[in-house]
Amino acid sequence: MKLSLPSAVSSPQDLQALILEVREYAKWYNQSATKKRLNVKKTTEKPELSPATEELIRAVAAKQPLSISIIDDLVTTLQKLSHDVPQMTITLAAPPTLGVKKQLVAWCRENISPNILVNFQFNSVLLGGMVVRYGSRIYDWSFRRQILENRAKFPGVLRNV
Amino acid sequence: MNTFLIIFLGIDILLIGAFSPMIVRHFRAHRWHKEQEEATKKQPKVPMQNGHLPPSVREHLLEEAQKNFEKVLTTSAEELQQDLHAASEDIHKLLQQMGSNAVARDLDAFRARLSELQKKTEADMAGAQEQIASHQAELKAKLAADMEAEKQRLLTQLDTKLADAVASFLTEAMQHEVDLGAQSDYLMKLLEDHKADFAKGVKDEA
Repeated sequence: MKLSLPSAVSSPQDLQALILEVREYAKWYNQSATKKRLNVKKTTEKPELSPATEELIRAVAAKQPLSISIIDDLVTTLQKLSHDVPQMTITLAAPPTLGVKKQLVAWCRENISPNILVNFQFNSVLLGGMVVRYGSRIYDWSFRRQILENRAKFPGVLRNV
Repeated sequence: MNTFLIIFLGIDILLIGAFSPMIVRHFRAHRWHKEQEEATKKQPKVPMQNGHLPPSVREHLLEEAQKNFEKVLTTSAEELQQDLHAASEDIHKLLQQMGSNAVARDLDAFRARLSELQKKTEADMAGAQEQIASHQAELKAKLAADMEAEKQRLLTQLDTKLADAVASFLTEAMQHEVDLGAQSDYLMKLLEDHKADFAKGVKDEA
């Protein structure tokens, strides 16, 4: 099964949470299907799903009708994804807002890999900008780094003030 | 020294020249008188012929001769005194002239020597002044270079400390005022700017 992860699912933790919810949904779906087959009137309540999970299930259902096997296939695919997709870490100067997260994840999925997982961290010492780690490479684009690299220019700037 | 010796010898010669006639005359007078006396003694006493020269005449003649002799002697003494006086004056003048000549000559030599020494001293002084000026210029240049180096060192030190202070101030001041919302556009721009590097890194990691 080919699928695209929702933009809200950005980190490995988000993906694990998604897998758990889909499993819960699969369990509920299986029980509901069994009760329907056995004409049992008492139905169990649908588990509360996150918008990302609902978006994913809607996307799958839009391609083909849902069935137990399809949902199991979805869980398997998600588990496989959690091991296979590339991961990266972005460290920011403050905890990122959802909007910032979505922007960054969208850019990464557009330009690096469609289902890349981004792990967000924060460190106030960076002051601004970000530090990106992908595999063994670290790209330090933080304000702190820029300040320390350009500190030799401060006296000249101050003299011209 | 030779000059004074020559003067002394000259004076001696003059004195000998002045006194020698008198000495000769004196010597002759005495000798003649003695010879006369001895001759008189040796000769047998001949009684004076009183008839020839009377004693008064003889005495008168003797007195006259004595007077003449005294007169000659006095004249000679006076002449000698005058000659001596003139010679003394001449010698004095000559000595004065010789002295002044010697002094003038020595003075000229002294002046020439002094002038030579002055010129030599001036030349030495000029050389010394040139050396001092050269040394001063060297010292000034060295001092200026040292001052400039020290200034640059201090300036660099100051700049380093200032840079550290500003960097510390910024890192300390800014880490409490981080606004990621305002930075979102900047973050996206960062990713776009480094897209090529980033893509290359991802490809290398793959």
